[in-house]
Amino acid sequence: MTTRRDADISRREFLTRLAMLSALAASYPATALQKMRSGAGTAVSPEWAGKDPWLTLAAVQEQMFPAGDDVPGADDIHAIVYLRNTLDNQAADGEDREFIFNGVEWLNDLTQEHKSKPFIELDETQRETMLRQIEQSNAGQNWLSLLLTYLFEALLADPVYGGNPDGIGWQWLEHQPGFPRPPADKTWYRLGRPVYYRRKA
Amino acid sequence: MGTDYDVCIIGSGAGGGPVALTLAEAGYSVVVLEKGPWLTGQDFFKDELACCRRSVYTPQLEDEQHVIEDLYDGEWVGEATSESGWDFWNGNCVGGSSNFMSGFFYRLKPEDFRLLSEFGPIEGANVADWPIGYQDLEPWYALVEKEVGVSGRFVDHPFAEPRSTADFPLPPTQEHPVVSRIDSACNKLGLHPLPTPRAILPAAKGERGGCSYSGYCGSYGCSTGAKGGSRAALLNRAVTTGRCEIRPHAKVHKLISDTKGKVVAAHYFDADSRTRVVDAKIFVVACQAIETSRLLLSSSGPKHAQGLGNNSGQVGKNLLFSAGGSGTGDLEYAGLSESDAAALKTRGPFVNRGLQDWYYIDDKAFGGRAKGGTVDFLLRHPNPIGKAMSEKWGEDDRLVWGRPLQQRLKSLFADSQYLRYEIFCDWLPTDDCFVSLASGVRDKWNTPVAKVRIGYHEHDLKVGHYINERTLKVMEAMGAKNIRSGVSGSPPQNLVAGGCRFGDDPATSVLNADCRVHDVENLYVTDGSFMPTGGSVPYTWTIYANAFRVADRIRSSL
Repeated sequence: MTTRRDADISRREFLTRLAMLSALAASYPATALQKMRSGAGTAVSPEWAGKDPWLTLAAVQEQMFPAGDDVPGADDIHAIVYLRNTLDNQAADGEDREFIFNGVEWLNDLTQEHKSKPFIELDETQRETMLRQIEQSNAGQNWLSLLLTYLFEALLADPVYGGNPDGIGWQWLEHQPGFPRPPADKTWYRLGRPVYYRRKA
Repeated sequence: MGTDYDVCIIGSGAGGGPVALTLAEAGYSVVVLEKGPWLTGQDFFKDELACCRRSVYTPQLEDEQHVIEDLYDGEWVGEATSESGWDFWNGNCVGGSSNFMSGFFYRLKPEDFRLLSEFGPIEGANVADWPIGYQDLEPWYALVEKEVGVSGRFVDHPFAEPRSTADFPLPPTQEHPVVSRIDSACNKLGLHPLPTPRAILPAAKGERGGCSYSGYCGSYGCSTGAKGGSRAALLNRAVTTGRCEIRPHAKVHKLISDTKGKVVAAHYFDADSRTRVVDAKIFVVACQAIETSRLLLSSSGPKHAQGLGNNSGQVGKNLLFSAGGSGTGDLEYAGLSESDAAALKTRGPFVNRGLQDWYYIDDKAFGGRAKGGTVDFLLRHPNPIGKAMSEKWGEDDRLVWGRPLQQRLKSLFADSQYLRYEIFCDWLPTDDCFVSLASGVRDKWNTPVAKVRIGYHEHDLKVGHYINERTLKVMEAMGAKNIRSGVSGSPPQNLVAGGCRFGDDPATSVLNADCRVHDVENLYVTDGSFMPTGGSVPYTWTIYANAFRVADRIRSSL
């Protein structure tokens, strides 16, 4: 928990700094990503994000997709919000959800065994070592691969799904999205579902 | 005794739309039964998930699937697609898969109608001449240009097929700047780069908008109505006659025939999975090749013990895909002027270029005169998630993440434009490619699903390699880097035809020359199932043209 709280604090400080930078943009040119970050709105840290499985998953995502000066990280692309939206959705793949949640338990069991700590309390080197270790098994590799798939979706799917705020991922990769873009009432799971007619009693 | 409708059409795609429009306009009452929902342009967005990442326009494979039989160690082994994830659905909604086509339209050529006579038999292949010739279909190809809206610019070339009109009724869609590189490479090699005709409106026409050039076309639904899918181009007009009714969520599972062998009713499951019944004077099946054969095989009756039209055991036989391959090369921005790089990065206009220089091969090294194929150029599929996916795998099948992954992504997206080509050649009909019923595997309505054996003929690969070797030279001449290509016998599930071939002999065909089932007086098939051989181009224009032709025959019979 300590690590996460620290991360939250530094994140807030970071955003405050960015806001100041943004105000000074005319005289102090910000990098492209800082501009994106300043335009990406407030960081999302709802209550659920402070609890497992989301806490561990967010830490794994940040390890796999870290923020850099010119690179949006998992936090920047709201990867955990996207993942939760996707797995909690009525049309979600239930198998993916179960597999991902089970994986969090396996991972934490492993880090407890080797480092006597949960994953989120490990430093970056230890996190990397543990993830590379679970990659050795088929199940571990599939789990990490699936998380990467959802990271790509968070980075590049339409912002309406909760990731890629203000198109930050598209801007980073100089990707031009198509149009018209999906409004909230026409997301994929709201299209094409069969209409079930009520029978009269 | 009266019937509910004059005509009942099962399936609303490129095979159903022309029949619905023709007969509704001629004053007949028509009902179209479509398994999927009725989505319109208001429901189609450039959504990276809805297109290509989720089953939105097709069923969940757990609910509806196929069994695919492939060859493993000399034995045919069937695997359910719910297990393999290999999806053979192409678009189950009003308008069918024509909603999601790229709309590059080619006609067949006269020789395609008489492949056996022109090029002789090939051992192990069931090559047959068609019972009609190009001249019989040409007026209908021309009609499709007007009714569906085909834009293009005719350029004469050594293998150009005859046309009854001088040029296309609509000017070409806007062209991507990369075409100048394709043209100059082809010209240098003495080839004939051809403007690709497209079933896409460059400007508004009637109720349909013109293309918005968003750059997201193939496999995406069209929001403006510019794409000439069956719904936007034909069914909407059929409905406005007041004589055509479309019932979505209507999954026909059996056609009922009487003691004379005539079809008297279609039974379908509605959205509540209740069985409903429609009767009509004429029934038209157009569910796309695999499902059309499945429906006929599932519809046994007093005169059709083995399924409708299957007294000679021909239903489902000689299924066709499209053979060939594809390749891609990187056109790097580095070294280009800023304006050239910006032009190459353009997203929106179409890469309207194809090659038919090898439509026929006359080369001793190949083994003499033979049927070749078509090459079409396009940009890499625009879905960024699909594009990113391959970057997560590194050396030794290990995952890549962290900074190395981010560097790969940045390079993939920002360093090059990716030019792709696709080769289309005949998928020779053989005894190893057919549809039957999977007795043990059922869909969510508890009816047997289609089992598809997907064997290919080695000759298809030979032709594919011949064309690929020559296309690679075009890519090299263009300065493409990192060129990769492949020719395979794996079937592209979106290019499917055959299974109910038409012919004059009921012993070797399912349909007569009018695409009516030989021994059923009121049952027609108007999707791509009728084709005895497939030609070396995408099927849609030919399906449209033939469906208009058959609709005219049906009108004469009513």
